[in-house]
Amino acid sequence: MADQRDLPAHPARTGGHTVRGFDRDLTHLLDLILEMGERAVEQTQGAIAALLDGDPSTAYRVLDREPQIDYLALDADEEVFQVIARRQPTAVDLRIVLALGRIAAEAERAGDKAARIAQRALELHETGAEVPGPVLEAVRTLDEIACCAFQRSVSAVAQFDIALAIGVFEDESALYAAAEALNAALLGPTGDPLPASQLAPLLSIAHSLERIGDHGAAIAEQVIYVAEGTDVRFRNREILIDTLRHRGAPGQGTE
Amino acid sequence: MNALASEIVRDTGAVSAADLARGGRFTGTIGDITTPDPRMVCREVNVWYGAKQAIKDVSLDIGKNQVVAMIGPSGCGKSTFLRCLNRMNDTIAGCRVRGSIKLDGQEIYDKSMDPVPLRAQVGMVFQKPNPFPKSIYENIVYGPRIHGLTNSKAELDELVETSLRKAGLWNEVKDRLDQPGTGLSGGQQQRLCIARTIAVSPEVILMDEPCSALDPIATAIIEELIDELRENYAIAIVTHSMQQAARVSQRTAYFHLGDLVEVGETNQIFTNPQHKLTEDYITGRFG
Repeated sequence: MADQRDLPAHPARTGGHTVRGFDRDLTHLLDLILEMGERAVEQTQGAIAALLDGDPSTAYRVLDREPQIDYLALDADEEVFQVIARRQPTAVDLRIVLALGRIAAEAERAGDKAARIAQRALELHETGAEVPGPVLEAVRTLDEIACCAFQRSVSAVAQFDIALAIGVFEDESALYAAAEALNAALLGPTGDPLPASQLAPLLSIAHSLERIGDHGAAIAEQVIYVAEGTDVRFRNREILIDTLRHRGAPGQGTE
Repeated sequence: MNALASEIVRDTGAVSAADLARGGRFTGTIGDITTPDPRMVCREVNVWYGAKQAIKDVSLDIGKNQVVAMIGPSGCGKSTFLRCLNRMNDTIAGCRVRGSIKLDGQEIYDKSMDPVPLRAQVGMVFQKPNPFPKSIYENIVYGPRIHGLTNSKAELDELVETSLRKAGLWNEVKDRLDQPGTGLSGGQQQRLCIARTIAVSPEVILMDEPCSALDPIATAIIEELIDELRENYAIAIVTHSMQQAARVSQRTAYFHLGDLVEVGETNQIFTNPQHKLTEDYITGRFG
């Protein structure tokens, strides 16, 4: 019996249409989404840097740039609308257009979370009190995992790469563990309790970081939808990962 | 192949045709060729025009109360297959048909089968409207008369009205039944041809690109009519418009170089086709 992973695959792609204008439309839409994703990652990193470095100018820069992602989301919506109206996409093209529309919404919300983190960093800065080292360390860990997951999901979108998307799902347990560790550092029995003026913004930051990781997973779900033609939202993650692994994602075991 | 199918493949150790098809090779028809209540059952149909084979081992059911759309690039054999279903290919010199095509269990290529009544049971509507150069009334009654289906003028009058109503044309022509059918607009002529087909009480209606000569409004009227006709007939339609196939059919069959590559629910074919050839064709990547 031939190993399924040796079988040829036909990965989802935006090119190859006889009408090359269709290629250009899809590529333009994909580029918009990738730019949104990259900006959301930059915004998150900037917001966390503002918190860790205690630099308000960095936080203000994040807040100033936040509308740019919103404008990109509007552009992406318009492009989705135009492609559907003018090209009447079917099959994988239709899945690409629908998925990119959903991914744009996820990236826009991730950008909102980054702006929220910057706002909370400013509030913490205004209190003048120093955030305890263990809390900052837990924030740094959660940020790395959440940003990494989001970044990886954006990379998965670029090639509709199932293997990268599976990696995002696999990192979810680490994301939730890091979020729990941060909450424990903030609310746990050890150490002196933080004043409400510090605790409230830090809890908000913890929640926002965790949600950014969730947005990454939601984007990864859309990658699977495009590549496999199956909507995997609301599925049990462990079973899903196992199923996809056995499926043999492109790039894994293929020639 | 979706994740669930992957699980099945993994559990059974099978390698499905869908897996192989991901590479774009034809390895046998993908999808369910059968339907629960078939009017026509075609198995391993092969057609040659002289030495050239136009259809290769095509098997497909034509279901009752169902529209099956046949799509594919020019020369793929979809029209040839359609014409086999009422032996229209008999009229083409050098055409040979092998395989089994049954209408309600009866082999239509059996020597005892008379193709004339067969073509009443399996009617056909062509690409270009082709009304007889006679009045609208005579266009409808011509078939029933030669088949001896009616005896009286009253019956013929009733049949004309019923057929034209079913074809959605009655209100437009009821006051000018004695005028030439060729004087109608293109869309009306095509509906007249459909009414003429219906008049001989067929079981199956074949349509070979019935809207390709019509404007979008006339096309929409015909498509609405096809949906209504589905309640009483089995319909097979060949179309070059994939949007039309998606709009009017419940099942879609994709042909490529004489092979039936994939057949399935229209919803599935147009959202998640299993064969790369199907996907390339319907997404405009063919060639």
